Amino acid sequence: MSTPWIRQTVLFILLVFLQVWLFNKIHIGGFATPLVYIYFIIKLPVEMNRNMVLLIAALIGLTIDLFTFTLGLNMLATVIAGFSRTYLLKLFAPKNVYESFSPSLATFGKALFLRYAFLIILLHQIVLFVTESFSFFEPLQLVLRITGSYLLTLFLVYAFEKIQLGKIKS
Amino acid sequence: MRNLIQFLLKNTHWLFFFLFVFLSITLIVNNNRFQRSKYLAIAQEVNGNLYTLSSNIEAYMDLKNKNADLLNRIAELENTVYGYERQLELQKDTSAHSLIYTFTPAKVVYNRVSGQENYITLNKGSNDSVEVDMGVISSTGIVGIIIAVSPHFSLVIPVLNAQFHLSCKVKNNDYFGSLVWDGKDPQYAYLQELPRHVNFEINDTVITSSYSAIFPEGLPVGKVIDSRKQKNDDYTSLKIALFTNFSTLTEVLIIRNIYKDEQLNLQREALVIRNIDKVE
Repeated sequence: MSTPWIRQTVLFILLVFLQVWLFNKIHIGGFATPLVYIYFIIKLPVEMNRNMVLLIAALIGLTIDLFTFTLGLNMLATVIAGFSRTYLLKLFAPKNVYESFSPSLATFGKALFLRYAFLIILLHQIVLFVTESFSFFEPLQLVLRITGSYLLTLFLVYAFEKIQLGKIKS
Repeated sequence: MRNLIQFLLKNTHWLFFFLFVFLSITLIVNNNRFQRSKYLAIAQEVNGNLYTLSSNIEAYMDLKNKNADLLNRIAELENTVYGYERQLELQKDTSAHSLIYTFTPAKVVYNRVSGQENYITLNKGSNDSVEVDMGVISSTGIVGIIIAVSPHFSLVIPVLNAQFHLSCKVKNNDYFGSLVWDGKDPQYAYLQELPRHVNFEINDTVITSSYSAIFPEGLPVGKVIDSRKQKNDDYTSLKIALFTNFSTLTEVLIIRNIYKDEQLNLQREALVIRNIDKVE
């Protein structure tokens, strides 16, 4: 009970910190900003209660919102990502493992994990940027923002995973 | 009935999902400037302290460029002061109300340019007699308007925000337009709703107009780099390269207009009078 919770809390604080102080300041080409806090939702244990996942997703979204003064914006995106996670897991999680575990390259295998992460990140970013674009609607700009940020986030999530995989092996 | 209850129990996550979606949409929709400023006053005090730390480090790394900027600005100011002194000598105006703006220096502790609704936090608050609706400028141009204050921090809505509008005009010209940002590049903004027949040239300077009680007239905003007709053809929209570099903003000045309340009251009275006229 205790150690995974402590690890989750540390990861939560670390990701919020990195997002607010580092990644929000990255703005490549005027449109690509990585949104790595979604990694927290990706990594929640597979067996976790669905209501709990939603609550945590709402919480991390709201935390980011409080820091960026955009109430509700990130929250909506993370809640929708957290909700879809259940169904994505049903599609991609390996069926032969019974104990509670976090989705990762090691537990899922490369192909399944990447497919799972691709979809959840894509959904999160589409919701986030479409909602944000209600202030100025420009389709081309919107597509650019989603694509740029999507690729950047994917790259970072994959890098995090690779680092952890390296640790386990060594 | 029992089936229904069982179904609901099995699918509580749907309930939770709709609850959270509803909650976040409510938050987004209700997020107008007025309601926001209430929660922001609290959030800022916390965020402000945290952001102070990170901005101190950033400011230190950027000192060299800042110094160069400041020196240039000092030189420029000295020139204008000299000009004004001469004017003053010529006029010898004895009016007591000549000085109506005072400036308070402040440091940027949080700033973001990557979103479409960006905000800036400054390290001066109500304890330094900063109030809502004061203007903020940098050493190079205007920055934004204060929309919320807490004891030690204040929140600025910069030009780079969808909700920012400011009346500006092209220098040497009395027609004014509305300065807005299009959410793309933090270096450019647009001056919209200018009458079509306004004369201007590329590289003309855009300055604040005298219509707002927040900024003094004639503060530099940016320079014209392009123009295009607006939809209905009666108006022109100018693309403006902003003088303020928002991505490296660290030092700003907060402007207090001593007679702001007086001016606003007068303008409000004027509105009331006009409305009465309409009714009659």
